[in-house]
Amino acid sequence: MSERISVAIEMAQGWRYSSGDAMARFSEGLRRKRIEALQCGGCRRRYLPPRPVCGNCHLPLSDWVPVSDKGTLEAWTVVFLPFLDARTGEVRDGPYGMGLIRLDGSDATLNHYLAENDPARLAVGMRVRAVWREELRGAMDDILHFEILP
Amino acid sequence: MRPVAIIGTGQTDHARRRDDVSQPELVREAASRALTDAGLRPADLDAVVIANMELFEGRAMPELWVGEGAFANGKPCMKVATGGTSGTSSCIAGFHQAASGLFDVVLVVGFEKHSEGHTQTGMALTDPFWDRAVASGALGNFALSISQYMAERGVTEEQAARVAVKSRRNAARNPHAHLKDADATVDDVLNSKLLAHPVRLMDMCPQSDGAAAIVVASADRARELCPRPAWVKAAATRHEQPYIGDIERRLLTMRTLKDASRSVYAAAGITEPLQQFDVAEIYEPVTYAELAWYEILGFCPEGEAGRLIEDGVTEMGGELPVNPSGGVLSANPVGATGVIRMAEAASQILGRAGAHQVEGAETALVTGYGVYAWADAAILGSAA
Ligand SMILES: [Zn+2]
Repeated sequence: MSERISVAIEMAQGWRYSSGDAMARFSEGLRRKRIEALQCGGCRRRYLPPRPVCGNCHLPLSDWVPVSDKGTLEAWTVVFLPFLDARTGEVRDGPYGMGLIRLDGSDATLNHYLAENDPARLAVGMRVRAVWREELRGAMDDILHFEILP
Repeated sequence: MRPVAIIGTGQTDHARRRDDVSQPELVREAASRALTDAGLRPADLDAVVIANMELFEGRAMPELWVGEGAFANGKPCMKVATGGTSGTSSCIAGFHQAASGLFDVVLVVGFEKHSEGHTQTGMALTDPFWDRAVASGALGNFALSISQYMAERGVTEEQAARVAVKSRRNAARNPHAHLKDADATVDDVLNSKLLAHPVRLMDMCPQSDGAAAIVVASADRARELCPRPAWVKAAATRHEQPYIGDIERRLLTMRTLKDASRSVYAAAGITEPLQQFDVAEIYEPVTYAELAWYEILGFCPEGEAGRLIEDGVTEMGGELPVNPSGGVLSANPVGATGVIRMAEAASQILGRAGAHQVEGAETALVTGYGVYAWADAAILGSAA
């Protein structure tokens, strides 16, 4: 029998995605440290990320409502495993904190990094605030992470 | 809709790496075993359904590549790809095809060969604007949900560890399982590597190479071909909104699984699941999820899942053995994983589960779980 082989393939590839108008407005807001949600006139749900149609009521959404950059930690973890950053292909080393944050004024939670990475100092219900990047680019990582408020 | 039944199952021996076979060969292994189990030849098949998450292997149109291994040439063939639910959803698609009257005998095959690609990359390819910047994969999402579940329901790390012990011990009696450990202890789990607080290595499902298949038949064909078919009493699938932040309290409420299970319970007359089911094969990607599912599926009131595992209620020999196969924690070739749940539950009804057979099993529950959101539920029974 022939020796078994495996074929190794490496490739660098690029993609380009359209955001749609709702995300374009949201993105523009981020450049001014402004977070906005779209509210459904039917179920009153305030959507983050904003989207043009409510998935539950199927109504078009056009009511922009302001959302605070402060909120409440609904869930948290500290990741110890290195994880791939899918935008850059680089690896983010652990430990780093992550949270699901309910920003004041939004009904959805936001998945983001936490400044704190000690499990002993994290708890559901803590108040948190966004720490913004110096140079704003209109992307989700304009928020570097959330810090725990005293 | 006509009644349908599962009349045969086949699985590969799931492992970290199956370098000895290509993807189509892996699929053929499971498909052939299912045909043999059902006593059929390839020509007896009317249609084929395939489950696979192709981003993990990076192969376009896997159904074309592996279809030949699934005996699909010249037949209707389709693929289902819905994360962890791919397998259970593909089985449900097969049920619908046979129940509709369009086809009499349908083969469903799920497979994944994680060792050949990049599972983490595949998992990270989420919404490019919203959550790509903060992706932490299945592990991070589970860990987040678990913090909430622990805070509200008081589940402990030790109770979760007991799920891992049950799983790896059960797997020791299953020739197809990937991770087996007849001597696993709670301390082993609590001392295993911390991956994302509070989830440890032994709390998590592995990434496996493997394939699994079932043969679905219409009632007439099932009665002709099989002495004790596993009848499909009910099946349901539920889709969810797209973002983790859309889902209210995640593990705690898991509305898709709750809705899907209540739908099949109503259709099959299940009011006391713990008493009425003889066995359950549920999709538990992480130990804590199994505990949460006990509550969502109505095996116990909210907050009592920890007691259920401590009392041994879901062990082999307990009132309701959950995952006699060792579950997802013991083998996880994602596209196949849901088919494995269905094949294992069917084998229990068919009386062909071997060393992990639950004696006299007549009613079985199957669930599927996809990403953090989708859910499937099905009930199999020994009576048409
Ligand atoms: Zn609405």
